[in-house]
Formats: sequence, structure tokens, C-alpha cells
Amino acid sequence: MIFLALPDYDVLPAPLWLVTLLHVLTLTLHFAAMGCLFGGMLALFAARLPGGLENPNARKLVKLFPTLMAATVTLGVAPLLFAQLVYGKVLYSAAIVSGWFWLGVPLAAMLAYACLYAAAFTKRGPARVRVWLLLALAGLVFVSVTYSSVFSLAERPEAQKTHYAGDTSGMVWLPDVGAWIFRWLHMLTGALTVGGFFLGVLGRKDEAAWSKGKLLFTLGTGAAFVTGMIYLLTLGDVLAPFMRSAGIYSLTVGILAAVVAVPLYLMRKLVGAGVALGLGVMGMVHARHVVRDVRLEGHFDAKAIGVDPQWAVFALFAVCLVIALGAVAWMLRIFFKADAEQAA
Amino acid sequence: MPYPFWETDVGYGPLMAVIAVLHVFVSHFAIGGGLYLVVAERAARAGADLQRLAFLERLSKFFVLLSLVFGALSGVMIWFIVGLLSPAGTEALIRTFVWGWAIEWVFFIVEILAAILYYYGWKRLSARRHMAIGWIYFVAAWLSLVVINGIVTFMLTPGAWLETGEFWDGFFNPTYWPSLVMRTGICILLGGVFAVFVAGGHADRPSRLRIVRGAALWGIAGLLISAAGWLYYENVDVLSQKAFVDVAERLVLPTMAVEYMLIAGAILAGGLLVTGVFAPGLQRRPVGFVLLIAALMGFGAFEFYRESVRKPFVIHGYMYANGLRVDRVEAGAEESLLESIAYRTGDDGRDLFNYSCRSCHELEGYRAIKPFFDGTDKDYITGALAGLHAMRAPMPPFAGNAEERAKLGAWVAERVDTRPLHEIHRLEGLALGRRVFEMRCGSCHVRGGHGDVTETFEDFEAEDIDEVLSDVEMSEEMPVFSGDDKERKALIDYILSWQAEAAR
Ligand code: HEC
Ligand code: HEC
Repeated sequence: MIFLALPDYDVLPAPLWLVTLLHVLTLTLHFAAMGCLFGGMLALFAARLPGGLENPNARKLVKLFPTLMAATVTLGVAPLLFAQLVYGKVLYSAAIVSGWFWLGVPLAAMLAYACLYAAAFTKRGPARVRVWLLLALAGLVFVSVTYSSVFSLAERPEAQKTHYAGDTSGMVWLPDVGAWIFRWLHMLTGALTVGGFFLGVLGRKDEAAWSKGKLLFTLGTGAAFVTGMIYLLTLGDVLAPFMRSAGIYSLTVGILAAVVAVPLYLMRKLVGAGVALGLGVMGMVHARHVVRDVRLEGHFDAKAIGVDPQWAVFALFAVCLVIALGAVAWMLRIFFKADAEQAA
Repeated sequence: MPYPFWETDVGYGPLMAVIAVLHVFVSHFAIGGGLYLVVAERAARAGADLQRLAFLERLSKFFVLLSLVFGALSGVMIWFIVGLLSPAGTEALIRTFVWGWAIEWVFFIVEILAAILYYYGWKRLSARRHMAIGWIYFVAAWLSLVVINGIVTFMLTPGAWLETGEFWDGFFNPTYWPSLVMRTGICILLGGVFAVFVAGGHADRPSRLRIVRGAALWGIAGLLISAAGWLYYENVDVLSQKAFVDVAERLVLPTMAVEYMLIAGAILAGGLLVTGVFAPGLQRRPVGFVLLIAALMGFGAFEFYRESVRKPFVIHGYMYANGLRVDRVEAGAEESLLESIAYRTGDDGRDLFNYSCRSCHELEGYRAIKPFFDGTDKDYITGALAGLHAMRAPMPPFAGNAEERAKLGAWVAERVDTRPLHEIHRLEGLALGRRVFEMRCGSCHVRGGHGDVTETFEDFEAEDIDEVLSDVEMSEEMPVFSGDDKERKALIDYILSWQAEAAR
């Protein structure tokens, strides 16, 4: 069995810019959904709405969590796929070094999802709801910390090697806490920002919920700004090259958009605020992406991977996407129209 | 090998099997169940059968929760775990099929949303719209099978892709269509059997009988389609290629799997006909449970069949299960394997073992290799490594150079019991000889089977056999005999005894 020339898979089936674009777009959507879910849970606990979990807006939120979880997972699949497509070498390696934790991610997500359904459906009163929610929150905290740790490790091939040499069993947590803690805190505060935003929007007709949402959104934005800046400063050697890269523009645009979102929100210009916030998240996502490239310099160069585009398949993907978005829009419309009809 | 090797003592096989089996069940069930729900809903609405509608609503709750929470996330889990256990294979698949996966993802979004709205929409939506969403759910779920089927079958029969590297050649590969028919049948079967099981617990007798009968017919239809798919599958040209036939002869698993499938099929056919169609009154939960288990068993057997005839590859003819590409291994004898390993542990023997063997074997535990080497020695092990691909089990050739082969041989020898067999087992005479043959020859020469040498020895004298055992020129893939004198004598006597045996 001798094959003279087997196909080589060390090529990208689309130009890098296209993959990056899709990656940034889908990751932004994932973070938005994650913010509504994870941040929404944080906001719910932080807000202490009158009546606690019996508060109508709290109940609305709790009922929405499972669906938000589904959205978070679904929208998370695509960016991870695109990230693996390009950065497989470093991502798989980091995941393997932290194997058991990495494998724990979908498991924890599954349990959290089940707990969210339990919280939404239980008839045993708010105390029970709180327990389910806290369990789900614990699962999500695990997922988020693991992601921060593994993705930080993925950017550090040298550290992967030293940690692997010390422990090959997949029980390695990136021990350099400074490397990921601010990244994680930034994600956490960012999520709180989105969560506060979401709470306010959901409860916009209710004074208590709206003012709590406003407060948390504003505080979250401030906290995210602070943790983000600290994270930036911890970049160390990477900071200077980052400042010279395209990342600094997306970061600036992101910060500006996030700042603009606050007054818009306070003026109840919710759509505008949402767009600004989304833009802010996208700016951060792109900056994050650039940091990875800068950090990997000398170890891994995405631009060096050959490209052999599969345009026909890509076109099919694009067509399916358009049809799917149409189907999604239609389903949501008839569903919410039915709501309005029922209310009327 | 650009990736580190995850050293878990659990063993790669069991880790993968547990997650994959559960996911595969649930995901196929999610498709067939979806179809069952909408079709049954239509029938119930047409007949204004309120009881049945209530039943379907309850069923959909369970169904949607199971397929969302468990189905979707166990799929993610498989993806995570293959990245850990088989990073090279995963990378090759993603690089080749990323747009396929992207298309599947699109269907996945529609499927998930439709499932949620179907579930929340029973009271809220008009009958027509509710069913429309049900149909959208089913179509999207089935379309994701249409996509993923291309990738799964590619791994077994990559077909023309091996020469062209073209997406469509790999996707519409020789087993694509048969597998799609078969899996579609399995989906329908699982949906029907599950409905039989649930309906069997209904309190209200007339409605129970009605629902059970409908669901049983449904299950039988699925069974027939999957049987047709299997006949089609089994007769695909490619699968009669030597590599596949060889594996089916060398491993017991494929044959066993086919037997299990037939048994499961018979149980299902009989069970559904008798307790579903002719005497649905007999259909109670325990009976339904047995049928459900049979369906899962038959389906699981098919998956094991597919996995086992693919051995020792992860992508047939392209990449071995240990992540080494076929063309890399062909070059093996000269190139250094160690130098290609980016993540070294500091122990060369262990690295060699990890990257050559450990994706399929643990030293002890899962598919342990220790028992195959206990009672032998360093020279035997080193020699056997050169003939790994000649063994009765389908295995990739060792991919390192001669020096590395010796290193791995020594490393393994340090971890097994290298006392002579007569000392370990306290055997004498022919019993000892048989054991020596099993341990030192039997991996590559099975009497009456793979690599049989019975005929060769037909008219050999003791001296001739003795010569064969020391002959370094026999085959590069065969170790020179390195046991002690007592073992050598017992082995020769044992081989000579075949002649007496043949004479009788
Ligand atoms: C593709 C997976 C795979 C890889 C890689 C692999 N093996 Fe195996 N090996 C198998 C299977 C399957 C069997 C059959 C086990 C059984 O029958 O229980 C087997 C059986 C064996 C046997 C027993 C043969 C016999 O039947 O007597 C030995 C010895 C062995 N392997 C050694 C090794 C060594 C050493 C390596 C690494 C250099 C290795 N294998 C790599 C799959 C693999
Ligand atoms: C690691 C695998 C391996 C082991 C172990 C092994 N052999 Fe072999 N043997 C081979 C291979 C490969 C050939 C060459 C087969 C061929 O060329 O068709 C071979 C050839 C032979 C032949 C010649 C067959 C013929 O008809 O030409 C004899 C005899 C033989 N082996 C006997 C033995 C005996 C006895 C033992 C045990 C002491 C043994 N072998 C152990 C792999 C092995």
C-alpha cells in the first residue's frame, strides 16, 4: 500500500481573513449570549429585586435562562471550530495539557443546563430555584475559568512544554495565575455589563428592575474598563508589539463604543445602546484575537499556513446560512406574534 | 507529532466509547423522535384525539429536554474528547471538512431553536404553525445527519479523496449513501421503539392500544429501512477490499458485531410484530424496555462494526489511530520518531510507547500489552516490534528507526515479567512448548489461521526447526528465537508433535 502523494491537510480551506472574520463575528455573538446568561445570573443575584426570586422580572429571567444557555452553546460551537481550524496546533496542545479540565467543560455545561431547566420548571418555591441557579452558576464559573486558563496556555507554547514535562496526566491548571486572572475578571465584569443591560431591557417597564439594570450596567462597564486596563498592563513584553498592531484600533473603537453605550442606555435609547455595546464587544474580541497572534510570534504564524480555498462548499454554507436565518426569523416572528395575539 | 500525549490511565478506548455511544444513541433518537412527533401530532389532530395530543405533549417535553441538554452537549463533548485523544486526526478532519461542519452548525442552530419553540408552542401556536415548526425541526435535524454522515463515512472509506484531496470526493465517498439509508432507518426505528416504550405505560387501555400499534408499525418501517441500508452497506465494493476483509478475519469484533446486529434485528422484528401489531395488549413497560435495549444493542453493534473494520486507521489508508500518517510510517525505518515529537517527557521509552502504542493499549489495564510480553525478553520484544503489522491484530507498523525500536523494546522489557515461562507458569514438556509457541510465535502465526506455519513444518526434523529458530534471515519482521534452552527444546518438541497430530 504505497501512496506517492497523499493529500496534505496543513492548509486552510479559505483565506485567513475570511476565517478570522467569521471567527470574530461568531465569537461576538457567543459572548453576547454568554453575557446575557452568565451576566444575567450575576445581575439577578446582585440586583436583589423586591420580592427576590418571586419578582416577576426575576421569574421572567429564570424562565429565559435555559434558552439563553442553548444560544450560548450553539453560538459557541462555531468560533471554537474556526479557532481550531487555524490554531489547532496550539489549542489542542493546551487542551491536552489541561485534559481533564478541558473535558470537564462540556460536562459542566451539560449539568449547568440541566440545573437551569430545573430552576425554570421547579414548583417548589424560590429557595429551590436559588439552589438550582447557584449550582448552574458554579458550573458556568468552572467553564469560564477553564477557558481563560486553557486559552492563556494556548498562547504560551513554552509554558505548555514545561507544564507538560511536569505533569502529563491532564491535571494541569495554568499555575501562573497572573497570566489569566485579569483576563477572566475582564470576561466576568464584561458579562456583568451585558447582564445588567439585559436585566434593564427585560424590566424596562418596571422601575425597580430598570434602575437596577441601569446601575449594574454602568458599574459593570466601569469594572470591565478597569480590569481590562489591568489585563492590558499585564501583557508585559507583548504590550509594545500590540500597540503597534491593528489590535490597538479595534481596542480603541471597542472602548469608545462601550463608553457611548452608557449614556444611550441611560436615555433609554435601547437599540442604539445595544448596537454600541455589541460593537464594543466586537472590538474587544478582535483585540483579544490580535493579542494571541502577537504572543505566538516566533512560535506559530497563522499567515504562514497555505490556503487552498473550497469556494463551492463555502458558497453552499453561505446559502444554507441565509436560508437558516430566514427560518429562524420566521419561527421567532410567528412565536412572538402568537404572544402578542394572546396578550390582546 | 506536534502535540503532547495525554497520559490517562483510563485508556483511550473506554473514554471514547462511553461518550460516543451515548451521544450517537441520543442524536439519532432525536431525529427519529422528531419525525414521530410531528407525524403523530398530525394524525392526532386530524382525529381530534385529545388523549393522544396530551401524550405527545408530554413526550415532547422529555424528548426536547433530552435532545437539547444531553444530545447537543454530548456532541460537543465528543468533539472535545477527540481533540484530546486524536488531535492529529481531528485537525485533519477539521481542515478538510470545516465548511461541512459549518453547514452542520447552521442546521444545528435551526434544530435547537425549532425544538425549543415546538416545546413551548403547544398551547401558544396554532396547530398548523406548531406542526410547521415540528417539520422544520425534523428536517434540520436530519440534514445535520446528512452532513455528519459524510464525515463519519469518510473516515472509513475516504475513496478518491486519497488521490485528489477534493472535499466532494471525500464527502460522497463509497459508503456515504448506504450509511445514510441505514442511519435514517435507525433514527426512525429508535423513535418508534421509544414511543412504544412510553405508550406501554399508559393507563387508558383503548388509547394505549392505538398508540402502541401506530408506534410499532413505525418501528417496523425503520427496521426495514435500516436492514435495507445494511444490505446495501455490506455489499459496497470497497468493503470487499483486502484491508477490510483482512481485519474482519483477524479481529473477532466485526463478526461478533454483525451477529449482534442480526440478533437485535430479530428480537425487534418479532417483538414489534407480536407485542405491537398483533397483540398490543401485551405491550407494557418491561416489554418496551427490552425492545428499546435491543434497538440500542443493534445500533451500538453497527457502530462497533464500523469502528473495528477501520482498524488500525483513524482515516483509512491515510492516518493510523496513533496519529501517524501512512506516508510517514512508510519512511519509518530511517527517520527518527523521537525527533518528530515536540513534547518530550524526558523518558524516551515512554515517549515512544505513548506515540506508537498508547492510543490503543495501556501497559496494564485497557487492552493491556503486558500479558502478551510476560515470559519473553528484550530481544523478543524488540524483534516483534519490527513485525507489529504482521501480527494477527491489525496494527500500524512501528514508525521509529532501529535504535528507537531497541529503546522501546528495552523499555517494555523493564516493565514486564522476563522470567522464563517455565518459571512463571511451572510448566513442563508439551504444555510448556505450547505456551512458548503462543507467546513467542502466536502473535504472528496462528495455527489454522492468520500466518499459519503448520504446513511449513510438515516434514521438518528437530534440527531443521532449531535452525529456523536461529535463522536471522527468516524475515526482517520476525524475531530470532531468544528463549532459554529449556523453552527452545519444549517448543521444538511441540512443533514436532503437530506431525504426529496430523498423522492421526
Ligand atoms: C491502532 C491501534 C493499535 C496500535 C497503535 C497498537 N496496537 Fe497492538 N493491538 C491492537 C489491537 C486491536 C490488538 C488486539 C487485541 C486483542 O485481541 O485483544 C492488539 C494486539 C497487540 C498484541 C498482541 C497480539 C496478539 O494477538 O498476540 C501486541 C503484542 C501488541 N498489540 C503490541 C503493540 C505495541 C508494542 C504497539 C506499539 C508499538 C501496539 N501494539 C500498537 C491495536 C493497536
Ligand atoms: C512479530 C511477528 C512474528 C513472530 C513473533 C514470529 N514470526 Fe515467523 N514470520 C513472521 C513473518 C512476517 C514471516 C514472513 C512471512 C512471509 O514472508 O510470508 C514469518 C515467517 C515464518 C516462517 C516461514 C513461513 C513460510 O512458510 O515461509 C516460519 C517457519 C516461521 N515464521 C516460524 C516462526 C516461529 C516458530 C516463531 C516463534 C518462535 C515465529 N515465526 C515468530 C513474523 C513473525
